[in-house]
Amino acid sequence: MLTSINPTMKAFAVLIPALLLAFSFDPLTPFIYLVFTIAITFLFGKISFKRWLLVFSPFLLLAVSFAWMTMLHPSDTFSGGEVIFSLWSLEVTSDSFWTGISLGLRSLSFAALSLLFILTTDSTKFMLSLMQQCKLPPKLTFGILAGYRFLPTFRYELQVLKQAHRIRGVGRARGVKERLHQFRRYAIPLLANAIRKAERVALAMESKGFTGESDRTHYHEMSINKRDWVFVSVFFGMFLVSIFISYQLGILNIFGIEFEKY
Amino acid sequence: MSKKHHKPLISVENFSFGYDSDKEELLKDLTFSIHEQETLLCIGPSGSGKSSLSLCLNNLYPEAVEGKVNGQILYNGKPLSHFKKGEINQEIGVVFQDPESQFCMVTVENELAFTLENIKTPREEMSRRIDDILKAVGLIEEKHRPIHELSGGNKQKVALASVLLLEPRLLILDEPTANLDPASRFEFIELIRSLKKEREFALFIIEHQLDDWLPLVNRVIAIDSCGKLLLEGIPEDVFYNEAKKVKEEGIHIPRIVEALDTYEGKLLESNRPLSEKSLVSWMHSIGQEMLPLRKELHSSYQLDDKVSEVLSLSNVSFSRGKKSILQNINLSLSSGEIIAIVGKNGAGKSTLLQLMSGILKTNTGSRLLLNKKYEVWSENEMRNELGYVFQNPEHQFITDTVYDEVAFSMKLNQVNQEAIDQNVSQLLNRFHLTTHKWSNPFALSGGQKRRLSVATMLEGTPSVLLFDEPTFGQDAKTTEELMQIIQTLQKQGTAIVFVTHDMDLVDKYCHRVCVVSEGELKFNGEPQELWEKLDLIYEANLRLPFRIRINRALESLCNNQGEQGDDQAHAYIH
Repeated sequence: MLTSINPTMKAFAVLIPALLLAFSFDPLTPFIYLVFTIAITFLFGKISFKRWLLVFSPFLLLAVSFAWMTMLHPSDTFSGGEVIFSLWSLEVTSDSFWTGISLGLRSLSFAALSLLFILTTDSTKFMLSLMQQCKLPPKLTFGILAGYRFLPTFRYELQVLKQAHRIRGVGRARGVKERLHQFRRYAIPLLANAIRKAERVALAMESKGFTGESDRTHYHEMSINKRDWVFVSVFFGMFLVSIFISYQLGILNIFGIEFEKY
Repeated sequence: MSKKHHKPLISVENFSFGYDSDKEELLKDLTFSIHEQETLLCIGPSGSGKSSLSLCLNNLYPEAVEGKVNGQILYNGKPLSHFKKGEINQEIGVVFQDPESQFCMVTVENELAFTLENIKTPREEMSRRIDDILKAVGLIEEKHRPIHELSGGNKQKVALASVLLLEPRLLILDEPTANLDPASRFEFIELIRSLKKEREFALFIIEHQLDDWLPLVNRVIAIDSCGKLLLEGIPEDVFYNEAKKVKEEGIHIPRIVEALDTYEGKLLESNRPLSEKSLVSWMHSIGQEMLPLRKELHSSYQLDDKVSEVLSLSNVSFSRGKKSILQNINLSLSSGEIIAIVGKNGAGKSTLLQLMSGILKTNTGSRLLLNKKYEVWSENEMRNELGYVFQNPEHQFITDTVYDEVAFSMKLNQVNQEAIDQNVSQLLNRFHLTTHKWSNPFALSGGQKRRLSVATMLEGTPSVLLFDEPTFGQDAKTTEELMQIIQTLQKQGTAIVFVTHDMDLVDKYCHRVCVVSEGELKFNGEPQELWEKLDLIYEANLRLPFRIRINRALESLCNNQGEQGDDQAHAYIH
């Protein structure tokens, strides 16, 4: 079901709350949103939990280290409150503790939102939708799509190049100066080939009647339905709900400004 | 088959083209025409500007490269420059050489839709037209598959299908089969032949390997190495009467013509066969029973008592991730032996070569080089004994000048300067590169690059030299030069292994041939034996070499006189 949402609308629904979340410095708002995002991901997207966890876990690690760093080295604004525990000479106060937790949860929310988008969106359809809904020029759209096809080729070519150089004995030469040389040796043939390939693809595209004009018909008509609007509204609405709950509980904190209830 | 009565579709008038206004032009003063429904074959040595010409014909050049043009090209009497952007591309379609770089979408369906969107086909019609064209090229099953998963032959069919959606009046084929295995190549040509009958487009074909195209061809133009028009005429005139001129330019001439060299006196002006079928009937009529094998082999290998095993693989297997690529390969190599590795696109030929070279590690099995395990060899010493020439010579270039390129490994081995200089000059001399001593390797021509990449492997005399498709996309002259180099090395005792799709090369030069199919070594023996195993040849997408095809056809013609025999003769050719 998530896969059938218009990709542009989906991007919109994910991006705006993510940006707004960046300003909520309390732990509850991002936490509510995180739970909501994960729930949506598994309720409406056909994603295997194992795969999701595999991609998500590095972010988890990152978030924990962010939180830890913030706790240990808070800015002056967030260093108030009682000391909860101390490590060597570093004291972690309650304020800095919660700020750290908040930052960690925010990063996780970003990660969960991005995953929701990435794992349920076909890249071709996303580009086509950007062209049709956001008037992205076809030249750019199809250029990016063609480039996307090349990524695996590029990796393969680098591998061949490494092998070829090993045969020549480049691996035998060591030292810093050699290393620098090495980089240049890979870069030149890789770039030369990339340029040649890009030229060829451009010619092939033009030879099939591509002119770059936006006046063209569409095989995949990307449209925006009521359902897409509902989807965006739910994501925006949920953001307001989580802010409201935090406000009700008196812990809302936007950009360092605390909003006490009454 | 004369198409002379048709009006010209394209006329090229005193046309010149150059990339840079300061430099010499690439194409000079060309005048020729292409008629409706005609098939024109364009031949010329590597670097003579054939591909540039094809891009000029559909108006992509000079604009794309800001090139300089003199003279003009007319389409139906109207100069190309007067057409709106994209307009002429609907009339003239191109299929390019490299199957990897002519698509911009991921799946077959979307790629075809891309063409239809370009020409503003209404959406309702698209599905039907996509299905129709996929049926026409026989790919309807692959509609939803990603293009990168298809075989090389099928990729080219997708390219063809997407161009045919434009319903072009002229189809340009720029070496579309150069990357394909023999069977896929033949299939593609047959497909073009039947589509042409159905759809009646004109064809402009650029090719090095001419034979299979010839039955289609009405006229030939040859461009020389300076970019001037060398010859123009019907194939019989060009390949029989002017064969000498063609050869001097380093262009491949059809095998049929080559085979008839020995009968020069007996050929009649009125009977100049250009199809294998007519060659067979003609040979039969003069009582010739077979084509002699002009094998470029050297008895040294079979008789020399100094022959020893230089490399051996036993029970070698290799897999990428969970996917098994090669299983249980057993192969041994003696000094002074030439071995070809053949098989389908993607069968694992290159992987086998990489395993032999030691740049890939095996999963199981053991490998010996000069009776010493691969693992025991130091990288340095191993590279002196075991050379590897990659398919794309550019991949192996690591310095800025030809001199440094050749001297590189000698410097690594700490040879003294005087010896290096002497050795390098010798090698450059031998490979005709002395005049380019201080050029940048990347600035050399295709053939020169290929020679240089071999020269860099020859600082000493390696025991084994491996080549990945050495003659791929090369003109006659370069191919000839390369095979001579290989033979010289072989006589010095170096064992040569090369991967190839060219069965005639196997027939002519190799002591042994290995067939890789479905990850296994299905055959390892003399070429002569392989030609008897028609099942295996079919399974591995191979084809009998020209000489064998002709001889088999002749044989069956002799055995079964009359119509029945004629049919059988035909069956062998296909």
